[in-house]
Amino acid sequence: MEEVQRQHYTEKEKQDIFNGEFMPHIRSMYNFGFRLTLDRDDAKDLVQDTYLKAYRFIESFQRGTNAKAWLFRILKNSFINDYRKKSKEPSKVDYQEVETYYNSEEVDRQITPDLRVESLKDMIGDEISNALNSLDVDFRTVIILSDLEEFKYEEMAKILDIPIGTVRSRLHRARNLLKEKLNEYAKSMGYNKS
Amino acid sequence: MTKPENPFLKPDGTKCSCMEMLQQMLDREVTEEQRQYFKQHLDHCMPCYKTYDLEMTIKELIKSKCCGSDVPADVIQELQLQINQKISS
Repeated sequence: MEEVQRQHYTEKEKQDIFNGEFMPHIRSMYNFGFRLTLDRDDAKDLVQDTYLKAYRFIESFQRGTNAKAWLFRILKNSFINDYRKKSKEPSKVDYQEVETYYNSEEVDRQITPDLRVESLKDMIGDEISNALNSLDVDFRTVIILSDLEEFKYEEMAKILDIPIGTVRSRLHRARNLLKEKLNEYAKSMGYNKS
Repeated sequence: MTKPENPFLKPDGTKCSCMEMLQQMLDREVTEEQRQYFKQHLDHCMPCYKTYDLEMTIKELIKSKCCGSDVPADVIQELQLQINQKISS
């Protein structure tokens, strides 16, 4: 996030910011942590680390700005630095390839599988959640930030430290991968005769 | 009746494709004017209508199934307590 001038807060102000602007996002933060780590205990640790860091660096936070985006960014960085290393799960995505592909003339090629709304409506169990969790973590992340948390391109670019064009193409690719996954489930449920 | 002006023009003056309009709609990166234009466009573009309907259904399902509403309240409370304890220690 852009460098802001260091703020000076009294202890009382720090408490007010922490409880009034940071804590209300704890459920979203936990859910984000869980979707990244896919582990309930790791998610708790990640959220705890994030809030402790947020408190420690509270004077870098400017009151009245987007606290949620700031917290999500800290959590995402903690995940990359502490958890991804630990789990030794490097990113499987070749972004250069994705970028090149989606900035090419082929951008309009329809890769939507033969998925129907009716088959989705029957997915009342864990199919949606499982499909989302099965995506590579970078694709999973943009879906969560956009569809669940309703962040805009600009906010996502700041949270993820990537250009807006990359946010757009990654989101586009993520949506298609999710549809492909849901299509597999639909087929296994007996839909889509093809 | 005159056709409304296309608000989905790119900086170079060319029109956005259906796919590009669709993505901007799904990502909520549109103005109110663009939203209205797209809604009208859906009335006469079946591929867009079908894709938009499907994508919106997926978005709604994600919102209802993956929002963490199944997280027990005590997990969140415990987390809050732990954080507050660590901060005040």
